[in-house]
Amino acid sequence: MVRQWVVGTSLGLAAIGALAASETEAKAQEIQLTGPLAGAPNVRKLRLHREGRFEVAPTFSFSLLDEYRRTMVVGLRAHYNIKEWLGFGVWGGYGLISYNTDLSDQIQAKSPRVPQTNVNIPDPSKVTAGVKDFGEQTAKMTWFAVPQVTFSPFRGKLGLFRAVFPDVDLYFHLGAAFVGLSERSDCTATGTKNCTVNHEMNSRVAIAPTFGLGLTFYTGRLLSFGAEYRALPFEWNRAGFDTKGTGNNGNFPDNKVDSQDRTFKFNQMVSLFVGFSFPDLKVSE
Amino acid sequence: MSFFSILRRTASQSLEVGSTRRKPELVTQSMEGVTMKQARWWLLMAAALMVPTGALAQPKGGGGKNPKPGTPAAASGGDIELDEKPGDKPGDKPADPAGAGTTDPPAGGTDNPAGGGICDVDPTAPGCGKGGDVPKANANAEVKADIVAVQQIYALKYHRFEVNPYFALSLNDQFVSHVGPGIAANWYISDVLAVGANFNYYGGLNVDSEFNFQNRRATRVAVPLNEYLLGVNANMTYVPVYGKFASIGDFIFHYDAYVVGGVGALWTRPIAVIDPDNRKFDYQARIAFNAGIGLRVFFNRWFAATAEIRDYIYPERIESTVVPTNQKDQTDPAKWTGDSQLTNNVQAQLGVSIFLPFSWEYRLPK
Repeated sequence: MVRQWVVGTSLGLAAIGALAASETEAKAQEIQLTGPLAGAPNVRKLRLHREGRFEVAPTFSFSLLDEYRRTMVVGLRAHYNIKEWLGFGVWGGYGLISYNTDLSDQIQAKSPRVPQTNVNIPDPSKVTAGVKDFGEQTAKMTWFAVPQVTFSPFRGKLGLFRAVFPDVDLYFHLGAAFVGLSERSDCTATGTKNCTVNHEMNSRVAIAPTFGLGLTFYTGRLLSFGAEYRALPFEWNRAGFDTKGTGNNGNFPDNKVDSQDRTFKFNQMVSLFVGFSFPDLKVSE
Repeated sequence: MSFFSILRRTASQSLEVGSTRRKPELVTQSMEGVTMKQARWWLLMAAALMVPTGALAQPKGGGGKNPKPGTPAAASGGDIELDEKPGDKPGDKPADPAGAGTTDPPAGGTDNPAGGGICDVDPTAPGCGKGGDVPKANANAEVKADIVAVQQIYALKYHRFEVNPYFALSLNDQFVSHVGPGIAANWYISDVLAVGANFNYYGGLNVDSEFNFQNRRATRVAVPLNEYLLGVNANMTYVPVYGKFASIGDFIFHYDAYVVGGVGALWTRPIAVIDPDNRKFDYQARIAFNAGIGLRVFFNRWFAATAEIRDYIYPERIESTVVPTNQKDQTDPAKWTGDSQLTNNVQAQLGVSIFLPFSWEYRLPK
């Protein structure tokens, strides 16, 4: 009787232990927490638009928030994507269209040609070398060469008017920008190259970090299109003014134009592109 | 019903359904009233308890790779549990072991299976009535491939109230930046259309830029400047775009994009820069039209981050660049302002959205 009780109790405790163990184990199962698709990848049969593919994309870009001169750039982007989320390549462009802002036109029309402004604003009656119109003195970005890395951590789909559902990715790019500039050349306070009579332009290359983000819409296996924002912060003398060089902290004009007169600008542009990718895309499991 | 039949039935249900905590409870309930005196029954009970555990203990991914027929197609991640009551899903309902009663006969596929079907092995299995073998019937059924890309919109907005506090930064004024807090409130008439209002406050936060100073000193040309006090607008919002993104680490977030437009008033005044000794301006209301686009990224179903670009278009009265020669005219307020100019104030508005009520029920299943 006692033996029976001991055996029964022992086995009962073992059963309770098994019950407790099974409950604990079961609670640790994702399958109980998230349903029958637990453990599955968040996207099945994902069309891998990037991985192992080259992309060539003609671009059209325009600068934003320009003070004196706007630039429109035609370019080409070539990329190879090692992973779906990582690629590298280059973007190059040429400033095909460039025109003055209304502020530049107003300055040309209304700024008085007096000794205090002759260093900054060309006076046609005094200029012996260089441009004679303020609009021509404003600096412009003439070409771009940008080696860059692209990260595309976000892949998804988009519903437009509940009728069109393209694949979309959001990507970030980071690189070094080599920017060809046309900028007012250095001039001096006195001598033959003094800034009153000399308003020549010069070319130089500015090197700057560049970064931004973009959206790509995939319309098929080959074709995509999208928009991209790019920041190119660097210092340049956009108006060709003498603004710094002497006084407290060099914050007063010194009648010379040189590298001290360059001011920091968070240059920005937006690009539109049409991309062609090859070879054919793969599909994930 | 014998105890062994109870155990067999419980184990088969657990294997078929594949989950849920109700199986151990069912076992426990079934065991009530059964005598505990014989040790072998304990062993059998322990074995029965281990059966559902074994069924649940699938390797990660194993269950997902072969979802059972009838599993909701869009049950991705853990979303589905938030919206569906337990028992609503087909998989949550216990199977009928007798094959009678609750299981509907399959549509189509009336051919007798030639072998290998479940009905050949067990004619009493669910779905093996006069309709024939369910898997074969399903294989022969016409596939309805009309599956929308986003099966349930993550955050429905129909008849919900949105409160959107934000901070605004002007984008297109190089001379004076207009920054300030704002708040918008919208009522969604439908899931894609809302009416609402927004309020911007700029008082004391307008900043004359360094660029303005340098340009004025270099050219001896003063540019008339204006500052804002506040703006109030009535708006309509249309949400034509929605979607979701998957990111690294299997994280999924949902977003929508909208266009917004409206009309209201903007209180502005010129900053006296041409003749500051004599001129002092008061704020006046101008009619302002606005249009913009925005993006909303949802953190959950009622809380989102918002980014919006809005252009407020209004007729601005700017300071006259002409200073009268005599003292009487210089102090005459009628001569302080020039012509009216249509002005664009493009601003970025970054904020958060809170949707009320916090939850809702979907009308249709996934």
